Amino acid sequence: MRPFGAELVDRREIGPGQWLLAWHAPAIASSARAGQALHVRTVEAGGMPLRRPYAIATADASSGTLTIQAAGRSGPSGSSPPPWASSLRPGDRLDLAGPVGRPLEVDPRARHLLLIAEGPAIANLRLLIDEAVREGRSVVLLYGAATAASVYPSSLLPDEVEYVVATADGSLGHAGTVADLVFEYEGWADQSFAAGPTPLLGGLTQLAAGRKQRLGVATLGRKRGGGRPIQPGSPEARRKSFLQVVLAQTVACAAGTCLGCVAPGASGSVRVCREGPSFAADELDWGPV
Amino acid sequence: MKAKRKGVAANSKRTPTVRRIRPAIAPVSRPRGPAPFPPPGGRAGPSSASIAGSSAVSSASASAPRQSSASSSSASSPGSPSAQAGAPALDALGGRPVDLGVDLGRGLALANPVIVASGPFGYGAEVTDLVDLPRLGGLVTRSTSLKPKAGQPAPRMAEVPAGLLLGMGPQNPGLELVLERYASVWARWQAPVILSLCADSAGELGEAVRRIEGEAGIAGLEINLSCGGGGRGGAIPGLDADAAASYVAAARRGTDLPIIAKLTAQAADVRAIARSVEGAGADAISAINTLPGFALAADRRGPALGSGYGGLCGPAIRPIALRVVWEVAQAVDVPVIGVGGVASVDDVLDFLAAGASAVGVGVAALADPMLPVRLADELADVCRSLGVAAVGDLVGTALPARTGPASTRGAEWAR
Repeated sequence: MRPFGAELVDRREIGPGQWLLAWHAPAIASSARAGQALHVRTVEAGGMPLRRPYAIATADASSGTLTIQAAGRSGPSGSSPPPWASSLRPGDRLDLAGPVGRPLEVDPRARHLLLIAEGPAIANLRLLIDEAVREGRSVVLLYGAATAASVYPSSLLPDEVEYVVATADGSLGHAGTVADLVFEYEGWADQSFAAGPTPLLGGLTQLAAGRKQRLGVATLGRKRGGGRPIQPGSPEARRKSFLQVVLAQTVACAAGTCLGCVAPGASGSVRVCREGPSFAADELDWGPV
Repeated sequence: MKAKRKGVAANSKRTPTVRRIRPAIAPVSRPRGPAPFPPPGGRAGPSSASIAGSSAVSSASASAPRQSSASSSSASSPGSPSAQAGAPALDALGGRPVDLGVDLGRGLALANPVIVASGPFGYGAEVTDLVDLPRLGGLVTRSTSLKPKAGQPAPRMAEVPAGLLLGMGPQNPGLELVLERYASVWARWQAPVILSLCADSAGELGEAVRRIEGEAGIAGLEINLSCGGGGRGGAIPGLDADAAASYVAAARRGTDLPIIAKLTAQAADVRAIARSVEGAGADAISAINTLPGFALAADRRGPALGSGYGGLCGPAIRPIALRVVWEVAQAVDVPVIGVGGVASVDDVLDFLAAGASAVGVGVAALADPMLPVRLADELADVCRSLGVAAVGDLVGTALPARTGPASTRGAEWAR
């Protein structure tokens, strides 16, 4: 995970204030998996002294490029790229490190994946869509946004994905929150993955727990009889959990030393950069939801 | 008015106010040529230390006066006389290595003056694949308490202009577990490991220190005077000279290891605290810790941090750290370790010139783990280009000469 320079290939706006930045970083692109992050050394005068974490939205090993989605700065005359990227032109190099953290774990037997995202957090699940489609799994993406204008463009998604949208103002798709859509699809899904604001994730965690009780042993991957106990937080345990989430947090060292990026876990705090950013939902303590 | 000013100028010939480097440089016969001393107050930008250092060129490289009088830049420029003479590697030091070593007292010797401050590298063992640990001047661990501490609730970091607000709470697994897990690892390392200790009372600190005594692998102790009580009204000990002294004295009674007292710039007069911890037996002083700050959450409904207040660190506090180092270096005789927003070799040179014998890198090492090692290399290059044989010669070059009590300066100025 040593840092190295990567070249900016492309940068464009994909929605109001949302920018897609493509980098040529073959070493990271070939090893990145869904749910992992990129640690970007953003350079601003008098700015952030740390690297900023961004979800790896897409990674193409053959061309060595990967993309991240970053929030720009919106002003009276439209929006501009994020301050640290505004002076970068294609061809410029920036110091990237990654991939940071642990990936989302898909059970090899899972056929139906339900992805739930709200707002820019879609970037955390974007790579999972590519991986799942490549492996021949069916993917339903439930997406929530404030208005039709800020909905993630369907042109950026593979055709194989069933894309269901909810907007808060009802300007596109279901009028309401993305959580309203979950009930229709959770019975279909073998596994689900979510990213978004903490209240959404906490609510989904509750739903997932209810589903577990309802379906009992019929969930995927439950072995009959003995076998060694599975360590909570291990890839095996995550593969067998119905809901996995990706947390967004400021990550300082990405080495697990600074203890700055902790999140409340079910048994003590967990580090987003080492144990996360992908978690099985029941590993975390969501507090009173 | 004009006549008076002339009078001052005449006086200054007898008692020069120019800044002289400390006599660590042997005053060899000065070469002829333009005086390399900068005009007082003429520090310009990041090259400040190179101005201060250029005075060293004149004395240290008496063997090559022509080159030295042309200042440092000529040593590396291709058209310089030395390059023409066909000796590309030869510089003002004649190819000798720069002595980067620092002695912090009581046997705590650092291979170079750039150490990692408490925090960014945890206990060091976690970053062995990211950092060339043997090349670090030293490593100060995360602050450790006698009993395990869970730390503050998340979120623990907030972005602020030119800095970072941290609300970690000294989360640590407790002294017992740290020693068990890491002491044997540290003992195999080349770089000295300085264990940072925090305690709620002087008694607890003494107990922790007695527990450490005799453990291999610990080169020194840093007493974090910014956590725990002990001061007046339960305030942190670093605010109160008596409380700070009681902490250091408690540690001193329990160990023969070098003790570094880490001061906070929150104190009304850090010089008083510095003198009092020096008197209580501190072998070195490090300054400064983070400063309390506050940031609001994005929705402005409460604090951004789970802990409420946070400790401000990063380049934002560098001027404060420099001020404290400057003051403390004049108040005490023990070495000072400057910590606060160091991110480049210019910052290192600033701290050295302000009186720090060593410099701790904090937040900047998070973004760039190899930075401390690189800073030491760059420092050696700077020394080489300045013709300074030992990095100690750069320490305190900006300090006023200690000829008398500092308070009389104001009176002189008025006269």
